Amino acid sequence: MKKSLKYKYRNELEVLPFLLPGFILLLIFIFYPIAKNFYMSLSDYNIFLDKMNTFTGIDNYIRVFKDKMFWDAFINTAAYAVVTILPQMAIGLILAIIINTKIKGSFLFRILFYIPVITSWLIVSLIFRYLFESGDAGLINYLLLKANLIETSISWFSNRWTANAVIWILAVWKGIGWNMVVFLAGLQGIDRSYYEAADIDGANIIQKVRFITIPLLKPVTFFIMTNLLVGSFNVFTQVYVMTNGAPMGRTQVLLSYMYKVAFTDFQIGYSSALSVVVGVFIFILAMGQQKFLNMGYKEGQL
Amino acid sequence: MTLKKLLVGLFSLLLVAGLAGCKADPKPVSGKVLFWHTYSEGEEALFLAEVVPLFNEAYPEIEIESVRMPYDGLKQQVITAYTGNVAPDVMRMDIVWVPEFAKQGILEEVSAFDEFSDLKDNFFAGSLSTNFYNGKYYGLPLNTNTKVAVYSKAVLAELGMTEAPATWDEMIALARTLKASDDRWGLTPQGFGPWGFLPYFWTLGGKVTDDEYSVATGYLNSADSIAAVQQLYDYYKEGLIGPAMFGEQPDAWGGMAGGNYLWIDDGPWYFSIIGQTAIDSTIVSTIPEGKGGSVSVVGGEDLVMFNKSENKDASWTFMQFMMSDEVQKIMAKTGMIPVTQSAADSLTDVPAYVATYIEQLKTAQPRTPSASWGSIEQVLSLAIESVFRDEKTVTEALNDAATEIDALLK
Repeated sequence: MKKSLKYKYRNELEVLPFLLPGFILLLIFIFYPIAKNFYMSLSDYNIFLDKMNTFTGIDNYIRVFKDKMFWDAFINTAAYAVVTILPQMAIGLILAIIINTKIKGSFLFRILFYIPVITSWLIVSLIFRYLFESGDAGLINYLLLKANLIETSISWFSNRWTANAVIWILAVWKGIGWNMVVFLAGLQGIDRSYYEAADIDGANIIQKVRFITIPLLKPVTFFIMTNLLVGSFNVFTQVYVMTNGAPMGRTQVLLSYMYKVAFTDFQIGYSSALSVVVGVFIFILAMGQQKFLNMGYKEGQL
Repeated sequence: MTLKKLLVGLFSLLLVAGLAGCKADPKPVSGKVLFWHTYSEGEEALFLAEVVPLFNEAYPEIEIESVRMPYDGLKQQVITAYTGNVAPDVMRMDIVWVPEFAKQGILEEVSAFDEFSDLKDNFFAGSLSTNFYNGKYYGLPLNTNTKVAVYSKAVLAELGMTEAPATWDEMIALARTLKASDDRWGLTPQGFGPWGFLPYFWTLGGKVTDDEYSVATGYLNSADSIAAVQQLYDYYKEGLIGPAMFGEQPDAWGGMAGGNYLWIDDGPWYFSIIGQTAIDSTIVSTIPEGKGGSVSVVGGEDLVMFNKSENKDASWTFMQFMMSDEVQKIMAKTGMIPVTQSAADSLTDVPAYVATYIEQLKTAQPRTPSASWGSIEQVLSLAIESVFRDEKTVTEALNDAATEIDALLK
């Protein structure tokens, strides 16, 4: 009996030693923190003494949905996703197509467009903060004034949507390079013969892009979309550095708001509840997106 | 159960006997004290050059390791250090933080030490009270400060003045004259937060809570308070208030250097950080007197000990040493005002501007001492900012804030 059982699971037993290290790491660094986080969200947790003060049940969760600051942060994050994803992808794709046509110096352009991607978020955020400084002394204001595009200097970081606009511009600028490189990889996987056939049929460049490139890039596009969408909900550094929620918490995004609640206000329990809500939301979003676009994914090679 | 109690009792008896035995033996206190502070560069230099050697002389067995911490993200650093068991033994922290950290249960109660009662009476009551939480003291005041009016000598001269205006109305008259030239402003509160805004609010007759700090309704939204905020808002609409209030350029110090601002309110660090240039180019005075008098805000730092410290005796020795007249007077050279009566009385050899700060302290008021101060601060900032950004009327903003603060004070 014992022997047959061992025989039955022989394959599993053989791979077990290889799975175990990964599984243990997963347990320690993923599952345990999630469970602990959920446990903390049910109380007004004291982070210093690592204990519950009082068990509050779902009070923190009720508070999340009534919290106006949370909804502001949610809307800002959603707006960030909606506004930044498409321009990044579109510009990235156009650049990829241009570079893929074997123009002179394409290697140099590839590097140049990729530099923003590998530059630290912290540094570019600081630079953008100075570029968009209020008053005539800010470089962007100075240029806009010189070009007669505006009449008085803009106080970029004093208004919710102008501050958000700076955050978006930075995100697009920094994201283009990555989109370009991934699209480029996708482009190079497309068989030349399709284009040769199209040439024989007399198709122009627009038609080739529309009917060959874009359909065949579907799996890559899906991959990029998923990454950018999930990435949008992880936006933190540039907001924390450039506005830190100012004015009046109106530019806070989900992560920066969570961070403030936890580490400035010491409301660890509430911030844990926020993170559970956001985590569940991202999970649903990713699943929904997969369902919605899964035809691309199933066909895809990635 | 009873057996357990008996055992515990016996054990504690043994412990007490053991401790008593230790006390009988006059072994000098030894150990290493990790000290976190946020002294400015000049202050730290003085601390290292004069205070530490004095301490080493008196207590050769104790080693002081002092670490200068940045203000940015300091709270988070404390969390990480404390939960990771590498917290400092002693820390110099902002007075408004002490009740908040005491509430988290991580500070050592200093009123439990024998020597506390002797020290207690020598402190200025206002400074000592910042360490009070739930019937006990969790720190010792270290240095106090406030903000005074710092006028640009050049701008005053341009307006035909050789000294600071004494009253609010005189100052406003100057501000109106100054407005005629571009990019010049007469008054510049530094931000909407209580630290920046309250001196103006109080000077114009506003109040946050009652004198016992127990309720805000009826005070923060009283006719006087509403009038005070309204008056400042009207100055803003008139173009008298500088962009530094909105966190825009020129910032307060840049505007002073560039001759954009008539005056700012600032602490003694304005001089210890910038140096002689700041002293030469300005005239200091108490805040110009308005309807509520000349009222500034009390700042300063307290010394606290974390309850995870393994060198409590050495730390306590160091903390007491910092309270001595000698040390208090050394640090006063940078404009840090002593917290003990005896040191303040015998203060000599300090920069001239220090006298103005001491004068201003007589009428300066503390921010609401409360373990919920962090939240109260946010409510107040938001209320004032929403007025200046035209999102709420003064009455609406102050009514809402008063209700919220009432709940936080309970």
